[in-house]
Amino acid sequence: MGNVIEVQHLSKSFGNHEVLRDIDFSVNKGEVICIIGSSGSGKSTLLRCINLLEKPSGGQIIYHGENILDEKHDIHAYRKKLGMVFQQFNLFNNHNALNNCMVGQVKVLKRSKEDAEKIALKYLKVVGMDHYVNAKPKQLSGGQKQRVAIARALSMEPDVMLFDEPTSALDPEMVGEVLKVMKELASTGLTMLIVTHEMEFAREVADRVVFMDKGVIAEEGPPEQIFNHPREERTKAFLKRTLS
Amino acid sequence: MSIEYIISMITNNWPMFLRGAGMTLLISIIGTIFGSVIGLLAGVIRTIPTPERKLKRVVLKIVNLILSVYIEFFRGTPMIVQAMVIFYGSALAFGIDMDRTMAAIFIVSINTGAYMAEIVRGGVISIDKGQFEAAQAIGMNHVQTMWSVVLPQVIRNILPATGNQFIINIKDTSVLNVIGVTELYFQAKTVAGISFKYFEPFFIACILYFVMTFTVTLILRYIERKLDGPENYSMIGQPPP
Ligand SMILES: Nc1ncnc2c1ncn2[C@@H]1O[C@H](COP(=O)(O)OP(=O)(O)O)[C@@H](O)[C@H]1O
Ligand SMILES: [Mg+2]
Repeated sequence: MGNVIEVQHLSKSFGNHEVLRDIDFSVNKGEVICIIGSSGSGKSTLLRCINLLEKPSGGQIIYHGENILDEKHDIHAYRKKLGMVFQQFNLFNNHNALNNCMVGQVKVLKRSKEDAEKIALKYLKVVGMDHYVNAKPKQLSGGQKQRVAIARALSMEPDVMLFDEPTSALDPEMVGEVLKVMKELASTGLTMLIVTHEMEFAREVADRVVFMDKGVIAEEGPPEQIFNHPREERTKAFLKRTLS
Repeated sequence: MSIEYIISMITNNWPMFLRGAGMTLLISIIGTIFGSVIGLLAGVIRTIPTPERKLKRVVLKIVNLILSVYIEFFRGTPMIVQAMVIFYGSALAFGIDMDRTMAAIFIVSINTGAYMAEIVRGGVISIDKGQFEAAQAIGMNHVQTMWSVVLPQVIRNILPATGNQFIINIKDTSVLNVIGVTELYFQAKTVAGISFKYFEPFFIACILYFVMTFTVTLILRYIERKLDGPENYSMIGQPPP
């Protein structure tokens, strides 16, 4: 039981540039996984391959026992089960905070406007943005935008939430408010896959930490192992560079 | 020439000027609306990402080729010549005697469509890639992404260019007098022919053209402000400090 997504032998090349090589890993239900690694190691590409924003060059992605890279598989039906939070927020500029959380529910999930609004308000409250329903993205700060973006993804009630460096584009004083929301989500049993440079955060919330280096998973294990007793030299070197 | 003469020319001929101005407005309004719809459709089709399936890819390529030919042809030839070719050509080739007003609306529409297609394409390209990705990531397909997220932003952004096109259309319908459309220029010419005066009727037409184009400018500014919504938003309750 519990295996939501299983990535097998995944590879990805841009032209002749091999960015991911033979990636094997799985996401279990209710698990919080943090992916760390230096810039350019392929963390974003892995996340984007998982929700098919990038087309993998090889391997398989098994979702609830089905290979979603199969020609016949409905990409849109799969994507709506995964929530994605981007580094640059990517809120819909033409919609206010509430509509950002409603439009996917109405168009993709075919929920009624009333239901969608109720659900959107519920999640805007979870991220502490329910007072800002009328605000357009350009009227919000970075941290507020990111919290609305999290609410937008949650409103789709996905199986798994993917976060790609959700705090990297934020001013330092706003990082805390977003991490706080994510910690709360982690404690609710939501399945989360988080690319992050926030090592303290990863140590605190992760059930498992995946360290990526040059397109491969160099080491993975519980935070205790990765941060306190890393087995690989590469992991040690990376941690020394980032934690010093 | 005197102010009194111009005024008496207006009082004697105002129904002709007014009908001419009305015809000009009718053709340019309908032409701009139809043209914008054509432009939106063509622009959206031309920005569809290359499909995975071979068949779809081939179909899209053919459609794009046809659209390119249409756009390049109508942008690349003068409307006055197109008017002659289409109006007399349709009579010659198919034996259709086109209604002049219909022919005028048709010509202005397809011309506007050709220009608007490029304006829309530029508008879609300029939308941040993140907007498309966020829409795809919540499971929207291409049509949903376009309709709910991209096009509303594109339309807002291309509104000034659309207004520009509208103004060009008001002025350029004057060339349609060559196929006998009774627009403003045609009417001014008729009054000139009757009165043997040239400055006055065209001066009146000139003023009327300007009143029309300037009114359109003001209306579009107003619409732009409306679309942008209020500068501020109202909070619901009080957020925690
Ligand atoms: N669309 C793309 N086209 C070409 N190369 C890309 C593209 N996206 C990412 N890359 C390359 O793939 C490598 C990994 O990128 P990325 O996954 O963004 O790394 P990370 O998120 O770990 O910083 C980088 O060398 C980057 O230049
Ligand atoms: Mg990245």
